[in-house]
Amino acid sequence: MPKNSKGRDVSEIIPDKCIGCQLCVAECPVGAIEMHGGVAKVDPEVCIGCGKCFDVCPVEAVIFEKPRKKKLTGIGQKPRPLEEYQGVAVFIEVRESKGAEVSWELLGKARELAGKLNTQVFGFLLGSGMEPLAKEAVTYGCDIVYAVDNPLLQTYLSRAYGKVMANLCEQVKPEILLLGATPQGRDLASVIATQLETGLTADCTGLDIDPQERLLLMTRPTFGGNIMATIVCRSHRPQMSTVRPGVMKMPKRDPQHQGEIRNLDFEAPREALPRVIDFVPIAPEVGGEDIGRAPVLVVAGKGACDAGAMPMLEELAKLMGGTIGCSRPVVQAGLLPYTRQVGQTGRTVSPKIYIGVAVSGAVQHLVGMQTSEKIIAINTDRHAPLVQIADYALIGDYREIVPKLIKGLETRIQTFKSKRNSK
Amino acid sequence: MHIVCCIKQVPDTAQVKIDPETNTLVRSGVESISNPYDLVATEAGVQLIEKYGGKVTLISMGPPQAESALRECISLGANEAVLLSDRAFAGADTLATSYTLARAISKISATDPVDLVICGKQAIDGDTGQTGPGIATRLGYNQFVYVSKIIEVDVENKTITVKRQLESGRQTIEGKLPALLTVELELAAPRYATLPEYVRALRQDIRVWGAGQIEAPVERLGLKGSPTWVKEIFVTKPQRGGVIFDGTGSSEQVVDNFLATLFGKEAELLGELFDKGKG
Repeated sequence: MPKNSKGRDVSEIIPDKCIGCQLCVAECPVGAIEMHGGVAKVDPEVCIGCGKCFDVCPVEAVIFEKPRKKKLTGIGQKPRPLEEYQGVAVFIEVRESKGAEVSWELLGKARELAGKLNTQVFGFLLGSGMEPLAKEAVTYGCDIVYAVDNPLLQTYLSRAYGKVMANLCEQVKPEILLLGATPQGRDLASVIATQLETGLTADCTGLDIDPQERLLLMTRPTFGGNIMATIVCRSHRPQMSTVRPGVMKMPKRDPQHQGEIRNLDFEAPREALPRVIDFVPIAPEVGGEDIGRAPVLVVAGKGACDAGAMPMLEELAKLMGGTIGCSRPVVQAGLLPYTRQVGQTGRTVSPKIYIGVAVSGAVQHLVGMQTSEKIIAINTDRHAPLVQIADYALIGDYREIVPKLIKGLETRIQTFKSKRNSK
Repeated sequence: MHIVCCIKQVPDTAQVKIDPETNTLVRSGVESISNPYDLVATEAGVQLIEKYGGKVTLISMGPPQAESALRECISLGANEAVLLSDRAFAGADTLATSYTLARAISKISATDPVDLVICGKQAIDGDTGQTGPGIATRLGYNQFVYVSKIIEVDVENKTITVKRQLESGRQTIEGKLPALLTVELELAAPRYATLPEYVRALRQDIRVWGAGQIEAPVERLGLKGSPTWVKEIFVTKPQRGGVIFDGTGSSEQVVDNFLATLFGKEAELLGELFDKGKG
């Protein structure tokens, strides 16, 4: 343990472990810690060796060896009566009178979480003419659907929706509220969390329950996808989280599932609401498939940024029953539309088989596909990050490999099918 | 019109690498930059005052070094800047951050009424996009997120019309000021600062406010005012135990070996793919 010039034992911070959260800066009673280039640094001459920085560091970046017990409880937060909050609620997003797929995916996850908590699943449904959708929500696993049906809710508006949802949470008191991380869901979630003064974690890729503390464990990529953080919300309810489309598995509908539909009144806001002047729906892309739903995705990377490569990759995708996607440079080169981009600034996908063709695998890309069931990489560079995380990597030039792969697959798929059919 | 733009200084996440040996983040040499979306927010604000008159005030919450991000944004043509810097602000999640920024905007607005707040869509280090809507909710402003174009401001009737990109299409929407926008990169390209502007930015006086100046109780700030806590941080290292087929022989060999392994080990998965209509 380092000592300062007065011979006092002082703490030290390991720069590469520090995540720059500044908790220690806030905690230090003598102001000995300052941020330098995004990492915390202790001034040994100011440090009094109290070890408070060691206590608060979430990643054990502080070296402090005097024996002391690590405090586990939160600082300065008054516990609220949390027991009265029960159940897992999902906001069901409506898009052109249909339920957004991400909402059904979240209901599947909500059922799993509710099972672990031994509680119910609620659906929160806002809009106009919601009866059929409320019934559909029951088949996806809702025990109770709270429907707020009003022509004024036909179009999504942040403040109107936020007010209704905050009221619903105050009435129903769910312990967890999940929303899709769509443009609308992310906006709405923040409005609700601010009104209720509760914690919200965006873009989670994993949700689980800590049974001891009855807490929702919310895991999300952070720092541009470089690290994963598990976040908890101890003393506020509901615990709120948004989840990107395609991250959770789509549940099967169960027509036998019994649920109740409760219609609630809507108190129209008094202030003037914004007015939608025009809406131009996205024209469905010609021959366009949803890359988030394809069971097999063949992804063109920077190294395959060549118009001549696309037909070959499409043929490979078709053969496997999938479609093609790409990384950012391919969109920038104008070879494929933005709707096909995988990654942090594009779509999050988790197909059964992901085939990366000359995709090097920058973190911003990996964060959008690393939940794929099987990852296959085709690359000339065996040290490329995607090769490192792949289940199978083929080292070589894709222009040689892909045509041979297509040929080989054709025969093998045929034999595979006939073999299985004869069984 | 008086426009407030919110700025965050962030580490350049594109520079962050992972040390494969120790499986930790290599942070040394990573520069701090102005969040790219906030540069667009500032550019958009400056373009509006160039068209309609008025001034742009910048605010940022962060350590004293965040001053450099403010100076960069001043050089784009902003008039004034406030740095919210106090040890009590450290460790804030989005709820505490939106509270702090909203308090500061209220204070600014008390002497010089604010018509419009512009924020970036999200910050590249956290990617949450929660702070903007949180500020609007606290201030009771109309909010328009993911704005890709500002069509018009009606200074007379105090309304704004914007275009925004939603999942299902493009929406054009009009609402009353004061309002808050969060902006997409495509909205505007931040200009290159001219030399006189650059010099002005270096000389500009930046006000520094702490918890006392915004009259905020410390229990609502920073770590203490944050309901969410980091329980654990880990580097993602997928344990896939991948098989590498290398081209020491011919590419034919590579493909053959791969296919043999795939159809041997993954028969079940392939069955799911090719047995459609059977189960």
